[in-house]
Amino acid sequence: MTTFEKVAKIISENRGIDVQSLTPDSTFEQLGFDSLDTVEMIMNFEEEFGLTIEVTDEVKTLSDVVRIIDSLLAAK
Amino acid sequence: MKTVICDILKIEYPIFQGGMAWVSDASLASAVSNAGGLGIIAAGNAPADAVRTQIRKAKEQTNKPFGVNIMLMSPFAEEIATLAAEEKVAVVTTGAGLPTKYMPLWLKAGIKVIPVVPSIGIARMVERAGATAVIAEGGESGGHVGELTTMTLVPQICDAVKLPVLAAGGIGDGRGIAAAFMLGAVGVQLGTRFLVAKECTIHQNYKNKILKAKEIDTMVTGKRLGHPVRALKTPFTREFMQMEYNSTITNEEIEAFGAGALRKAAVEGDETNGCFMSGQIAGMVNKEQTAKEIITELFTQADEVLKGAARWVK
Repeated sequence: MTTFEKVAKIISENRGIDVQSLTPDSTFEQLGFDSLDTVEMIMNFEEEFGLTIEVTDEVKTLSDVVRIIDSLLAAK
Repeated sequence: MKTVICDILKIEYPIFQGGMAWVSDASLASAVSNAGGLGIIAAGNAPADAVRTQIRKAKEQTNKPFGVNIMLMSPFAEEIATLAAEEKVAVVTTGAGLPTKYMPLWLKAGIKVIPVVPSIGIARMVERAGATAVIAEGGESGGHVGELTTMTLVPQICDAVKLPVLAAGGIGDGRGIAAAFMLGAVGVQLGTRFLVAKECTIHQNYKNKILKAKEIDTMVTGKRLGHPVRALKTPFTREFMQMEYNSTITNEEIEAFGAGALRKAAVEGDETNGCFMSGQIAGMVNKEQTAKEIITELFTQADEVLKGAARWVK
């Protein structure tokens, strides 16, 4: 599974959103996440990938998340 | 009544006076600190110069520890974060956002960071980033409010982090303090009760409204804008609510309508156009007292209630 696929699966399972409707350009806002939901979801990604992810305003789309995760994984 | 938070912060009583914009100035904060609690200066949306003035005044008026509350949605948040580090205030509390990006700066300055947290996720993030404690504040509180109540939030935050937890939202007397301790907290933060402290410098109209308020007299507005606020029901809040329900009015127009309303209440006592922020516990706040009288009364009552609790168990 690619990073994007893993991220989409986690979101789908946690929020009951159809995984087919998730694209790299999907924003958390479009998916109905408020700021607390976003923090919660990032912590789920941290658990899945074994990383510590800094939450910033730059995390808007799923492709932003994937990019950050991939660069942290590469640095490990 | 001493708890671990008293040892960590070197205060007499485990009580913080909440950072309330346009309300929590050096006068109130230093009175609370002198009375044995932790007084807190609110930065609100003020620029660094104004906050520095209050910090310097407080340093003259008390040699006890006091804190600064940084409202993270302020356009000056970064300046104030830097200021707090320069002034080496004893404690920084934060609200309306995630403070993690400023925490290395504060920790380096030897400041104890105690963020207000609305969820387990945020509590865990700040714990990881080196917070000293967290304040679990339920939506019964005044000002910016989250969804969860104190009753449901406090025990879940206590379960989620190893840090000391203070409870805030809806506490107005010794029963509330005793209840907070039963939920797992080791301290409390109060805001509304301190609005009527003699050392609080807000307009007398504001104080009178709090003294007269009943339990049903607050409402939350601003949900549509994403930053809900609890205040007394007044012409301003009722109009604000009407605007929110009107889809032809834009968010920008609503924000513009609300700008400056808290200042009008706190500084001018403007009962028509002011926004009088208040927690739900205003109904129980009936007496103007000094900060010292408030704190002494709170803990005397908490003591009685906690001792009396033994009657429920064999």
